[in-house]
Amino acid sequence: MTTILDRRRQAPSPRRGPGVVHRLVSTDHKNIGILYCVSAFAFFLVGGSLAEVMRLELMEPSRQIVSNEAYNTLFTIHGTVMIFLFVAPFATGLANYLIPLQVGAPDMAFPRLNLSSFYFYIGGGILVLLAGVAAAGQAAAMGWTAYPPLSEMRLSPGVGPDLWILGLVLVVISNVLNGVNILTTVFLMRAPGMTMWRLPVFTWNMVVVAILGLVAFPPAAAGLTLLLIGRRLGGLVYDAAAGGDPTIYQHLFWFLGHPEVYILILPFFGVITEIIPVFSRKPLFGYTGFLLATLTIGMLSTGVWAHHMFTTGVIVNPFFAAMTLLIAVPTGVKFFNWIGSMWGGKIWFAVPMLFSIGFMLNFLIGGVTGVMLASPALDYQAHDTYFVVAHFHYTMLGGSVFGIFAAIYFWFPKMTGVMLSEKLGRVVFAMLFVGFNLTFWPQFVLGQRGMPRRYVDYASGLGYDTPNLVSSVGAYLLGVAVMVFLVDVWRSLRRRTPAGDDPWGGYSLEWATSSPPPEHNFDELPKIRSLRPAFDRQHPELTP
Amino acid sequence: MRRGRPVLTISACVTAVLFVGACSGSFGMPRGASEQAQETFQNWQIFFITAIPVAGIVYVLIAWSIVRYRRRRSDPPDALGSQRTENLPAEVVYTAVPVMIVVALFVLAIRTDDRVTAISPDPDLVVHVEAFAWGWRFTYPDGETVVSPPSGEDAEWPVMVLPHGETTRISLTSNDTIHAFWVPEFLYKHDAIPGRTFEFDVTPTEMGTFQGHCAEFCGLNHAYMNFEVQVVSRQDFDSWLGQQDQVPA
Repeated sequence: MTTILDRRRQAPSPRRGPGVVHRLVSTDHKNIGILYCVSAFAFFLVGGSLAEVMRLELMEPSRQIVSNEAYNTLFTIHGTVMIFLFVAPFATGLANYLIPLQVGAPDMAFPRLNLSSFYFYIGGGILVLLAGVAAAGQAAAMGWTAYPPLSEMRLSPGVGPDLWILGLVLVVISNVLNGVNILTTVFLMRAPGMTMWRLPVFTWNMVVVAILGLVAFPPAAAGLTLLLIGRRLGGLVYDAAAGGDPTIYQHLFWFLGHPEVYILILPFFGVITEIIPVFSRKPLFGYTGFLLATLTIGMLSTGVWAHHMFTTGVIVNPFFAAMTLLIAVPTGVKFFNWIGSMWGGKIWFAVPMLFSIGFMLNFLIGGVTGVMLASPALDYQAHDTYFVVAHFHYTMLGGSVFGIFAAIYFWFPKMTGVMLSEKLGRVVFAMLFVGFNLTFWPQFVLGQRGMPRRYVDYASGLGYDTPNLVSSVGAYLLGVAVMVFLVDVWRSLRRRTPAGDDPWGGYSLEWATSSPPPEHNFDELPKIRSLRPAFDRQHPELTP
Repeated sequence: MRRGRPVLTISACVTAVLFVGACSGSFGMPRGASEQAQETFQNWQIFFITAIPVAGIVYVLIAWSIVRYRRRRSDPPDALGSQRTENLPAEVVYTAVPVMIVVALFVLAIRTDDRVTAISPDPDLVVHVEAFAWGWRFTYPDGETVVSPPSGEDAEWPVMVLPHGETTRISLTSNDTIHAFWVPEFLYKHDAIPGRTFEFDVTPTEMGTFQGHCAEFCGLNHAYMNFEVQVVSRQDFDSWLGQQDQVPA
């Protein structure tokens, strides 16, 4: 029986979503989640283009296409955009979209706060981009770490660095508000039966990320504000000549900076830990161990910051070496969770699973090289070289960004109601995987051969020529892969192959509602008696 | 289970062969042209050799899972895998073994760090190195000084000459922003921070010319803040020093 109300609900054509204005002001968590993901991806395209220009410059020895100054701005904005405006906000977008669905809530705890934190992020992002395009001689060009004295007025004049600082402070505010929102939602708004020990792993990982954000972002805001005061009002905290110390900034910055890398990777540990069991047709192996590992990573990550400072000679090396080596253990545990989840399964190699496998293969290299860098003596050699550049791209690009693509291919059907192309998805995966390794493997070699990072130019004949050439070719392949992905999204949104509520046989609650879910998320919640409520509903014969 | 055994034997053999080969390998790292660097190089070998079986086991397990447990054509599309959720003994092993590995690596890393940064009570030579944007000033005991020419794309690299086999104390500082003194062949770098002076020793074991770079980003001409280290015999060193200008301190 169809009522008038139902007919009115169906009135707008299913092809047309809500209007742009409605999307920009709606406080619905799903809308905000998509806003975050789309904006973050746009920043990815910006940051990626900057990287392509750098690879073009470095393809051959001697300087060809950009000035020293422009090159310094390129890597400054590239780093800032990728870390603060792409990977972290993309995770926030997923969290906004998925957490209420996964815990069985109708929305986030503070919807308007949620929308405002999105606009703090966009505001911060715009300021950072403006910092990069400020007039010649004024653009931010002090590296994404912005160490004083280099970032002080004397050596970095102009408004660029000020805009950059203000932009980051807005991003900090956005992250803190988000952290509060996520924790409140998870702690207070879970559906009946959804205990903390039945919480999906993605949501659990975002809980730890939210806590880390609340702990680590405020000190960075303090450090950046002191920098701004130093630039504009003559504060002396970082000025050695006035009795200050420039290394104080490094402590404050890395006290954010290192938890930040876990803020960037934990969400995607969560993502692939959702995906691997679903496509292996198995439950997650070692859920409790996995959560303990996640919590351990969270705790240890606040005690590793000064491994970025081994070469400063002002820190206690053994403590930070020990913490850094220890954090490898819970990270290693996760690999065995993933392997255990595949072991004995019936693995279906759909595109989200391919990206998850790619994540494991790449991230492992990032992990073992991270252990090498934990040795202070080895870090003396590798610090500030392309070895470190390769290492962290293996974690951030080979890890987090592969996790982002896994997440997109996995949840795009849920978010839009339409499938992405399986065929193009495989092409994107293959190109990204080959392109990524082609770009960053040679950079390990470059670092070992003595090429420092942040060099606009290098001399020929020192063994840097070939690795740089290969690396640049790989980077172009990455660029093409991203184009193919955009074509896939555009084509899929036009063709509209319907996804259905649950195209993958998913486990967590978001698969127990329609695609996309209704505004209030669930017409009816299934009983939550295990980690896999959606699976239990499909397989009553297996439910205890 | 029976299918697993030949795989285990083969991987054990491959590991053994790799291990023997590995102990003499440099894995892309320069072998080190100073006594201190050789300590670092050994540490690098140990870390790398440890990484090979650790990463190898994980890769083999991933590959095995992918191949052995793939969904086959004969499987119905809704076939489920085993529904096992835990295996406590395995979980204890894969947590405890890595802890033991990192504890061992920690001890080795700290021992190496202590040796690399150890300072001799009576060095044979002290060179003051001052980094500035964008160049270097190397000052020898009697005031002989080598300074970078004005920096830029085509600037010549200043040369720091060291006597072979003798322990040279480098006393490092900066007068404007943070730089870092790095000679890749010495496997060592240290930041030069305004307001602080750092000391470390280098005892070159190889004659020759080595490249040196500023490794801490320091602005516009960072990429052109290079230098060269020449390690020569004592006689050659003395005659070179005699030709240098003395700048009163």
